[in-house]
Amino acid sequence: MTKSFHAVQALKGVSFELREGEVHALLGENGAGKSTLIKVITGAHAPDSGTIEVGGCVVSSLTPVSAHAMGIACIYQQPALFPDLTVTENIGLRLDPPGGLLRVRWGDRRRRASELLQRVGAAISPDSEVRSLSMPEQQLVEIACALGAGARIVIMDEPTASLTLREQRLLFDVVRDLRSRGVGVIYISHRLEEIFALADRVTVLRDGQSVATHDLPKAGAENPSQAGLTEKELIRLMVGRDVQSAGATEPVPAGADRLSLRGIGCASSGVRDVSFSVRSGEVVGLAGLVGAGRTELARILFGITPASSGEILIDGQRVSIHSPLDAIALGIGYVPEDRRRHGLVLEMPVASNISMAVHSSFFRWGWVRRVAESKLADGFIDRLSIKCADSQAAGSSLSGGNQQKVALARWLATKPSVLVLDEPTQGVDVGAKSEIHRIIRDLAREGVAVLVISSDLPEVLQVSDRILVMRGGAVVSELPGGSAPDRVMAAALGKSEVAS
Amino acid sequence: MNLPSPHPSQTRSGVRWYLRHETLLAVLVLVEILIFASLGRRFGTADNAANIVRHSVEIGLLALVMTPIILTGGIDLSVGSVLGLCAVLFGKLWRDAGFPPWLAGVATIGIGSLCGAFNALLIARFRLPPLIVTLGTFSLFRGLAEAVTQGVDAFTNFPESFLFLGGGQLAGLPTQAWILVIAAVGLWITVHRMTFGRSLRTIGFSPEGARFAGLPVERRLVTCYVLAGAVAGVAALTYTARFGTAKADAGMGYELFAITGVVLGGTRILGGVGTIHGTLLGVAAVAILANGLTRVPSLMNIAGELSGMLTGIVLVLALAAGLVPSMIAARRPAPRDSLSTRNSTTTPSA
Amino acid sequence: MRNYFRELCVLAALFLMLILLAIFAPNFFELQPLQSRLTAAAPKLLLACGVALVIVAREIDISIGSLFALAGSGAAMAAAAGLSFPAAVAVALIIGLAGGAINGALVAGLRLPSIVVTLATMVIWREGLRLGQQGVFINLPPGTQWFGLSMAAGQGVVCGIAFGTLLLLALATRHLAAGRFIYAVGSDDEAARLAGISPRITRFFVFLLMGFLAGMGAVLNMVQSPQVDPNSGRGLELEAIAAAVVGGVAVTGGRGRLWGVLAGLLLLLCIGPALTYAGVRPYWEKAIQGGIILAAVVADGLRRQR
Repeated sequence: MTKSFHAVQALKGVSFELREGEVHALLGENGAGKSTLIKVITGAHAPDSGTIEVGGCVVSSLTPVSAHAMGIACIYQQPALFPDLTVTENIGLRLDPPGGLLRVRWGDRRRRASELLQRVGAAISPDSEVRSLSMPEQQLVEIACALGAGARIVIMDEPTASLTLREQRLLFDVVRDLRSRGVGVIYISHRLEEIFALADRVTVLRDGQSVATHDLPKAGAENPSQAGLTEKELIRLMVGRDVQSAGATEPVPAGADRLSLRGIGCASSGVRDVSFSVRSGEVVGLAGLVGAGRTELARILFGITPASSGEILIDGQRVSIHSPLDAIALGIGYVPEDRRRHGLVLEMPVASNISMAVHSSFFRWGWVRRVAESKLADGFIDRLSIKCADSQAAGSSLSGGNQQKVALARWLATKPSVLVLDEPTQGVDVGAKSEIHRIIRDLAREGVAVLVISSDLPEVLQVSDRILVMRGGAVVSELPGGSAPDRVMAAALGKSEVAS
Repeated sequence: MNLPSPHPSQTRSGVRWYLRHETLLAVLVLVEILIFASLGRRFGTADNAANIVRHSVEIGLLALVMTPIILTGGIDLSVGSVLGLCAVLFGKLWRDAGFPPWLAGVATIGIGSLCGAFNALLIARFRLPPLIVTLGTFSLFRGLAEAVTQGVDAFTNFPESFLFLGGGQLAGLPTQAWILVIAAVGLWITVHRMTFGRSLRTIGFSPEGARFAGLPVERRLVTCYVLAGAVAGVAALTYTARFGTAKADAGMGYELFAITGVVLGGTRILGGVGTIHGTLLGVAAVAILANGLTRVPSLMNIAGELSGMLTGIVLVLALAAGLVPSMIAARRPAPRDSLSTRNSTTTPSA
Repeated sequence: MRNYFRELCVLAALFLMLILLAIFAPNFFELQPLQSRLTAAAPKLLLACGVALVIVAREIDISIGSLFALAGSGAAMAAAAGLSFPAAVAVALIIGLAGGAINGALVAGLRLPSIVVTLATMVIWREGLRLGQQGVFINLPPGTQWFGLSMAAGQGVVCGIAFGTLLLLALATRHLAAGRFIYAVGSDDEAARLAGISPRITRFFVFLLMGFLAGMGAVLNMVQSPQVDPNSGRGLELEAIAAAVVGGVAVTGGRGRLWGVLAGLLLLLCIGPALTYAGVRPYWEKAIQGGIILAAVVADGLRRQR
């Protein structure tokens, strides 16, 4: 059984092949095209060109339903389960034949559920409500669904991102069990050790292209030195050799510490004991993998989820931040990661979005001054070269890059002294991206302390004066601005020995 | 009649002014007036106009304060019950506690605010769904009114000075109309000219987006519900003055009339879109219909029922009409947005 | 057991109430008044079950009181016009189904918000009925009351039908795939679609069922007296919703059991008599009902946040 195809637009020519009874790892930076590839395979996106073959037959159009019928199952990081229903029922609804007038055989359902749960090694009662399960437990339920559906191709998108060690081992057993049953598994993970322990082959994606496909040594006869070599190679393949490591940043004379964090922790969001400072006029990059705790840290700084321990200092003064209002009053701005849900209010015009965070200072006595507001907005539209019909155009009518610039303008309008940017160029085209980078540098030159969270390694390297790497909710490494990309990646992956 | 809409972008961006909901509604009101003026007997008299206004002040007030709440995506089913409780307590304070009417009136408005604050506490602080919270307080406040009056007690014989509020005229208008005018102007300014109204729309469109922009979401919600309670207290006073009695069933069902006026006025029930003048037009359309039908000889006997039925039908039509702009928008090519490029943009900039 | 916690709380409250009544007002349990009370509550039970399922599907229906009156009056008029009793019943059920279908089409088909749609249909049915009937009671032909049986037997039949329907619905929502679809759709639209369930069809079906139950409730109400009051059913929607919410149906959708709704309804019904027997003025009933609804909502909210 193979599945191969070429070329979609977001993917610029990917060839990928999955054999029967194989665990095929898919590696790549965030944004390298892995998720698009998955969407193509599960039928959520149609490829613009190229072919897909399943079991030797060319599949002309793959829809979610037909993909499901062909035995393709995907386990996402965010499980699509019914939170109010029990595990038994969640599995049952997914696996029972469709048809409203059938009798629900609870006994069979329950038996099947507990059997499947046992097979994935989950210590979950089939009668517990999904709402009460932890995220990894929910993932195990998803895997149980895939198992029960008799999937021939199982895609796992970072399944271990939130699992404990014990759960991981159980999951590996499940994957090996699947392989021995002839199921093809596409395994996506950033953790190299998992890939070496589990995968038979690995394909590296970069910039929407498949860079290389390699066989991996059999996990049983592992030769550590050989594996180490391959690990290094893999990291190189992922980041690309041609990335300029230094140079793009001109040094800015940094001032005194503007923002200092001392032992910041938050139990609910998993941030642990984070301490660092950002000086005025400095751009600090916060690198790490998705789920490393970077966004969570930003939310602590902005008062969305206040810290449970540690202290925050602004200009050496201890401050308490319990809400975004506190943060704004202290001169902190935050451009969030999800601009459609948090960064902007898409239904509202550009001008309103830009003035939103300065309501109390810009509009005296709460009086909306529309002319002044338009002027303010026009100023930013000029300065950031935002492309929109006029300042009264709805946010939703703008392209992604321009939306991001509006989100940025909102915080520039507050004249912040600390600006936190969370994935500032995600989903932004190349032109807008370099403009945003220029704005970031300009801000630093004006004396703003900038914290840039980005999963885009070249970006972090290019804009930052200093790079902090987070892993597992803690800052694990601090590197100078011009560091080699593989050192950053290695730190983010937790492979300090690879650093050369 | 045709109020200029000052916020083209905030009401329905991209919809021409003559297709805007408020304009169509104003036309509907005009048509109603023309029809009833030609068919009805003594419809166009100043007396009758005053009559219409007198009868719609309470519903108008409740609809006005319901508008900000619905703008935030909430709802308040308890305003009619608050009115009832306030009316009864006003009577109690005046007759049994011996308060002078003005003091009892001030206290009544305070009681209304407290009722609103109770709703606000449950909705903003405990983050419970407004629909079901105010359904509970709908029962609770009406029940308290019944408990206070033992179901039968009615307060009457209010002094002439107080009844002036319900039956008198001031500068050519019914006295209570001035309250409606003040409330309308005040709310219009706060909702359409102040950042307050702006933040309500923002909350209605996206509560999360409002929070991330640093808007005081909780405080805004509290203000809206407390204001609704306070104004329900004011409406209780005009209601009592108009009827001359305060009973536990005062204002029963008014919450539904108010919501009807708001939704008919073009406010989106999910929040974000809506205008104060739209609400006024919505209330006017219903009030004129109800009054006009009583003036048409052949329909006089069934006027109440017919106007109710027509109101319901117009409400459904208004809702369905609200779908049209989004249908048109769906036909237009969507702007190129990030969805198609999200996974392909992390190109190295070397 | 953990999954039944909410329903067990209601049951415990109900039993506590019954014990208190047994101690302080033993004559509450005399057969005849109790039987009458239960019979009077039978139509409410049907409406509460229906609206509970609507809420489980994350919608709301406040037109049911009006639809109840419309269906009852329609059936009574049909009977008064000389149609046979089964034909009159059919008229009530058809009116109910039609009303439900209209709500369903507007809500599920056009995706209009159910609160406003059913607000509008509530007014339309109610005023339409008043327009047609002018509030005049409709006299039923002899032999219609209590199905032509003795009062005791008739009461038995009414209660039997109501509880039988409850039992059937409870079984269907538990053991029929379609019943589970309602919970699935109310719990998560997206996951439902992934599992091959159509949220639109499911929601339409729920409104249809609601209409049917309103029609049935109207029939059970009609047979209890020699006349039908076209003004009946006012405020019934709120009583039904209150019973559902108190009985553990979550307003956020996807949760709730019909026997919990039964417990909730009985608990609310006990308040009036309990007050009377306890010597408290009965005028407190509504306030206490409101308090119980709020207590249930707050408890659910706190439990969800934890």
